[in-house]
Amino acid sequence: MTTKSLTFPRVFPRPKSSTGIWSWIGTVDHKRIGTMYGITSFIWFIVGGIEALLMRMQLSSAENTLIGPDAYNQLFTMHGTTMVFLVVMPLSAAFFNWLIPLQIGARDVAFPRMNAMSFWIFLFGSLLLNASWVTGNAPNGGWFGYAPNSGATFNPGMGMTYWVVGLNILGVASIAAGLNFIVTIINMRAPGMSMFKLPVFTWMTLITSVLIVLAMPVLAVAGIQLQTDRLYGTHFFNSLGGGDPVMWQHIFWLFGHPEVYILILPAMGIVSEVLPTFARKPLFGYPFVIFAGAVIAFMGWFVWSHHMFTVGLGPAANTAFSVSTMLIAVPTGVKIFNWLGTLWGGNIRFNTAMLFSVSFIAMFTIGGLSGVMHASPPTDAQQQDTYFVVAHFHYVLFGGALLGIFSGIYFWWPKFTGWFLNEKLGKLNWFLMLIGMNLQFGPMHWLGMDGMPRRIYTYAENMGWEGSNLAATIGGFILALGVLVFIINFFVSRAQRVEAPADPWDGRTLEWATSSPPPPWDFDEIPQVEYRDDFWFKKHPETIAEYYHDDHDAVPSGAQLDDEEETPVVSGGADDHGHSTPHLPDMSYYPFILSLGAAIFGIGFLTHWGVIIAGAPIFIWGLLGWSMEPVNDPE
Amino acid sequence: MQRVFKLPFPPRRALFLLIPAAIALLAACTPDNAQSTFGTAGPIAEDQANLFKFIFWIAAIVFVFVEAAVIYVSIRFRRKSDNDKLPHQTHGNDRLEITWTILPVVILAIIAVPTLIGIWEQQHGVPDDQGDVLAVEAIGHQWWFEFRYPDHEVVTANELHIPVGRPVAFKLESQDVIHSFWVPKIAGKVDMVPLNDNYMWFIADEPGVYYGQCAEFCGLAHALMRFRVIAHEEADFLAWIDGMHTAPDAPAAGSAEESGKNLFAANCSSCHTVDSTTPGSYAREVSAQEARWNGWLSDIENAPIVSAPNLTHFGERLTIGAGLKDLNQEILEDWIADPATVKVGTRMQDHAAVYQTSDGTANLSAQEVSDIATYLLSLKPGSGDNTSTPPAGGGDVDGAAVFATNCASCHSTGTDDIVGPGLGGIADRAGSRVGGQDAETYLRESIIDPGAFVVDGFPPVMPGWGQLGDDQIDALVDYLMTLN
Repeated sequence: MTTKSLTFPRVFPRPKSSTGIWSWIGTVDHKRIGTMYGITSFIWFIVGGIEALLMRMQLSSAENTLIGPDAYNQLFTMHGTTMVFLVVMPLSAAFFNWLIPLQIGARDVAFPRMNAMSFWIFLFGSLLLNASWVTGNAPNGGWFGYAPNSGATFNPGMGMTYWVVGLNILGVASIAAGLNFIVTIINMRAPGMSMFKLPVFTWMTLITSVLIVLAMPVLAVAGIQLQTDRLYGTHFFNSLGGGDPVMWQHIFWLFGHPEVYILILPAMGIVSEVLPTFARKPLFGYPFVIFAGAVIAFMGWFVWSHHMFTVGLGPAANTAFSVSTMLIAVPTGVKIFNWLGTLWGGNIRFNTAMLFSVSFIAMFTIGGLSGVMHASPPTDAQQQDTYFVVAHFHYVLFGGALLGIFSGIYFWWPKFTGWFLNEKLGKLNWFLMLIGMNLQFGPMHWLGMDGMPRRIYTYAENMGWEGSNLAATIGGFILALGVLVFIINFFVSRAQRVEAPADPWDGRTLEWATSSPPPPWDFDEIPQVEYRDDFWFKKHPETIAEYYHDDHDAVPSGAQLDDEEETPVVSGGADDHGHSTPHLPDMSYYPFILSLGAAIFGIGFLTHWGVIIAGAPIFIWGLLGWSMEPVNDPE
Repeated sequence: MQRVFKLPFPPRRALFLLIPAAIALLAACTPDNAQSTFGTAGPIAEDQANLFKFIFWIAAIVFVFVEAAVIYVSIRFRRKSDNDKLPHQTHGNDRLEITWTILPVVILAIIAVPTLIGIWEQQHGVPDDQGDVLAVEAIGHQWWFEFRYPDHEVVTANELHIPVGRPVAFKLESQDVIHSFWVPKIAGKVDMVPLNDNYMWFIADEPGVYYGQCAEFCGLAHALMRFRVIAHEEADFLAWIDGMHTAPDAPAAGSAEESGKNLFAANCSSCHTVDSTTPGSYAREVSAQEARWNGWLSDIENAPIVSAPNLTHFGERLTIGAGLKDLNQEILEDWIADPATVKVGTRMQDHAAVYQTSDGTANLSAQEVSDIATYLLSLKPGSGDNTSTPPAGGGDVDGAAVFATNCASCHSTGTDDIVGPGLGGIADRAGSRVGGQDAETYLRESIIDPGAFVVDGFPPVMPGWGQLGDDQIDALVDYLMTLN
C-alpha cells in the first residue's frame, strides 16, 4: 500500500474472538453465515408450519368456528409470505453459503462482508414482518397482495404496510446475496474449473442468483408503488383514483413466476448432486440438465400471465401465455428424464438423503403434470383460485423444493457438523413427510375440482367437502410429526455424535475433499481441477475413460485446453497454492450495524418519520465504517 | 413380482396403490356436489370438463410412466448387500436426450390444439348461432352480487334468474375490489375487476338451482360471498320478469306487514330498494346505487349509506346473506336485529343509523324486527290490480305516502339530519334558497335534479327522482310545503 487509506473512527474494537455471540455478529465466514441462515429459516419454517396447521384445523369441518375470518386471512397471507421469503429462499441461501465456496474450491465468497449484510438484513426483515403478529397487525391481503384489496381504502390497518416494508427489506438481502454468488461463481473457481466442470448445484445456484438479481427489483418496484399508494395516496394501483389494479398483477407475477424457479432450481441442484452420489455414477446428460435449468430460467420470464387467465386479458393473450407455459414443461421433463437416466444402471444406496431425492422426482412430477392442466386456459377457468391450484403448487414447493432441501440437509449434514444424522430416525422422518404430504395435498386436487375456492375460512355443510378436508388436516399433522421427528433426530444425533469422515458418501465434488467440518479457510491447499466431478475421478481414475469416452463436451482439460484464461484468481493470493496459512478477511461489525440501521429505517415507515431519521445515522455509520475499514487490519 | 415385497421401503408400494386410487376418486368425483366441475349443466362447463379429462388422461399416462420408472429403477438398481462396485460410468446419451425433448413437445402440441380451440370458442364473445342473447350486468360488491337486466329493466341481487337453452352474456363489473364470477356447473370463472369490465357468456341446459361463489380473494367475508343461479324454462323466466314489474299487494291496514313497511321505509330504504316495479325505477336504482357508493367513499368511516342489494320481491328469494343461508322468518329476524350473527363484515351494520347503538344491534324492538321480516317475506308479485304504482292521472296522490316510501330514509320531517338534511320547516326556507325561484319551483328542481342544489355539509349523493312522474312530484311538493 502506497496510499494511506481513510479511516473511520471506530467505536468498538474490531471483533477477533472465534467463540461467543459476538463472534457470530462479527463473522464474515460463509459457513457460519450459512449456519445462521439455516437456523433462522428453520425457525420460520416451524412458524409457517404452525400457521398452516391452524388453517387446516379450521378447515377440518364445515362451518367451523375455531378461527375467525380476519385471523384466517392473516394466517394464509403470512403462511405464504413466510414459506416463500423466509423459508425456501433463505434455506436455499443457507446451502449457497455453505457449499458454493467449497464446491468451487474457494476460501470464501467474493464479498464476505456483503454476505454478512445479506443475512442481517434478511434477519431484521423477517423479524419486522413477524413483529406484525405481536402488534396485532399481521398482513391480511394475501401473499400476492392484489390491489385494490391491498390498498389503504379497503385495507386500512397496518398489516399490508408491514408486508410491503418487510418484503422491500428482504429484497435488498436477496439482491445482495444474488450478486455475491454470481461474482463468486464466475470469479472464484479453483484453477482448472471451467464452467462446464462446475458441480450442478453450483450451476443451479448461478442460474438462481441471476433470476434473483433480475426478479427481486421487479418486486421492489411493485412494493414501492404499493407503499406510496398506501402511505402517500398515489394512484398506481388504486382503482378509485384511476389506478390500474391489473397492472399490479402484471408486475407482481412478472416477479412471481421467476420466483417459482428461484424456489425450485436450488432443490433441483441438490437432487442433481445426491442422485449421482448414491447411484455411484455421474449425472446423466450433465450439459442437458444445465441447459434445461437455464432454459427454464429464461422461459420463466414469458409465462407470468398464466396466473391471470381469468383476469380478462382476452383470447390472444391467453393463447400466447398458454403456449409458453406448456413449453416450459419441456425442459422440466428433460431434467426428470435425466435424473431417471442417472439412476438407471446405478448401484443405488437408499439412505435418507437418497429417499428424499427420489421422492422429489416422484412428487415434483405430480406438481408438474397438474401444472400442465392449468396451462390450458379453458381448464384453468375451473381451476384458478381453487384448491386444485393449492394442491399443484404444494406438490411443487413441498414435494419439490422442501423434499429437495431435506435431502440436502441429510446429505451435507456430516460435512456441516462433522457428525451424522441418525438414519433410522431419518427414514421415519422421510416416511412421515411423504405420507403426510400426499394425504394433505392429494385430496386438495379433488376439492378444487369439486369447486372449493382458495382462501375461504369456512364452507357450508352441504358442499361435500368435509371428508377431503378432514383427510388433508390429518395429513398436515402427519407431516408436522415428520418435522418433529427431524428435530428429535437433531438432538438424538447430537447426543450420539457419530463422527463423520471428510468423505462419508464417496462423494463427487470438492466439498468432500476437505475435512468435516471444514476449517475456517476451507481448504489447506486450493485444489487443482481437471475433470467434472474432479474429486470422484481422482479417487476412481479407472472410471475416467469410461465417462469421457466419446463425450466431446467434456474432454479432460489437462494443460492443452485454454482453461487458463477462465481460471480465476484464488482468494488470498498466489501463496495459497502452497501450504502456508491461508489469508482470510478479518471479522467486521459494520454489516450488522448497517443492517440494523436499515431495519430501523424500515420501522419508521410503520411508525413515525422520526424513526426514519433515527435509523439514517446508524445506517450511514455502518456504511462509512464499512467502506473505510480495510479487509485486514495490519498485524 | 416377489421382489416387490422385499422392498427396503414399504411406502413405494403405496405409490402403486395411489394410481388406481386416484383414478377411482376422479371417476367418483362426486358430480352431485353443488359446485362440482364435473356435474356440468351447460356446454361451456362441459367443454371445460371434457378438456380437463382429455389432459388428465394424457397426464395420467405420463404419470404412470414416470412413477413406474422411478419404482422400477429403485427396485432393479438398488444396492444388494454391501457391494460397492462401480456401475458403468455413462455420461449420457444424445439420442435419448433428443427423444425426451421432442416427445413432450408432441404431447404438449396435442394438448395445445383443443386448448386453443377452447380459448377462442369460449372467450371471444357469443357465437352468432346460439339464439337470442340475454344481457346481464353482474356487479361484484364486498360481499354480494348485483344483477341487472338492462333490456328488461330489472335489478336483483345474489340470485340470478336465467332461461335455459339460450346464451346469457355478462358484463362483469366491480365497484370495489376484484371479485370473480363463478358457477362451476355452468362455466368457469371470470374476474370482476374495477375499472376493467369483463365479458363472458354461458348457457344453462337444464332448469334448476346452481351454486356460485366468488373465487377471487376479496377481503374479510370472501368465503361468504356466494350466489345462486336459478335456471328456468323460457316461459317461466318471462313470467319471472313480468313478476319483477308487478308490485306486491298493499299490506292490510293495521297488519304486521304495514308496520314493517313503515319501519322499513324509515330505517332501511335509503340503501335497499324494494319498489323496483314502477316505470323508470331501473334508471333510478342504477343512479341510486352509484350515489350510495359515492356516499360511502366520501366518508368511509361514518357514511350513513352504502351500496346495498335491491330487495324487490324479497319474499321470493331462496337465501339470505349472498347465498349464505336458507331464507326464513327466523334467520331474517336474526339478520335484521344483528347481521353479524349471520355474516361478518356487513357494511350495513357499520353504517346504517339504526345500528348505531352501543352493541351494534338494531335500535328496534323484537316486535319491530319481526314486523320488518314479515313485511320483507310478504314481498312477492301481487295480483296486479292493487299495486303501489302511482294511479294514472288525477290529483288524489297522497304526498305523505310518496314521501314515506321514497324520501323518509334519508330525510326526516323534523330537524334531524339522516343522510340528507331534516326537512322540518323546508317550506319556509325553500323560497329563499335560490334567488328568483319560489319555494315550489325550488323543491321541484331539487327533487328532479338534486345535484344542482346540494346543501353544504351533505354528500352529493341524492339521485334524481324525475321518474316519480308529475303527479307524484306535485303531491310531494304539496306535502313538503306543509312542513313549516
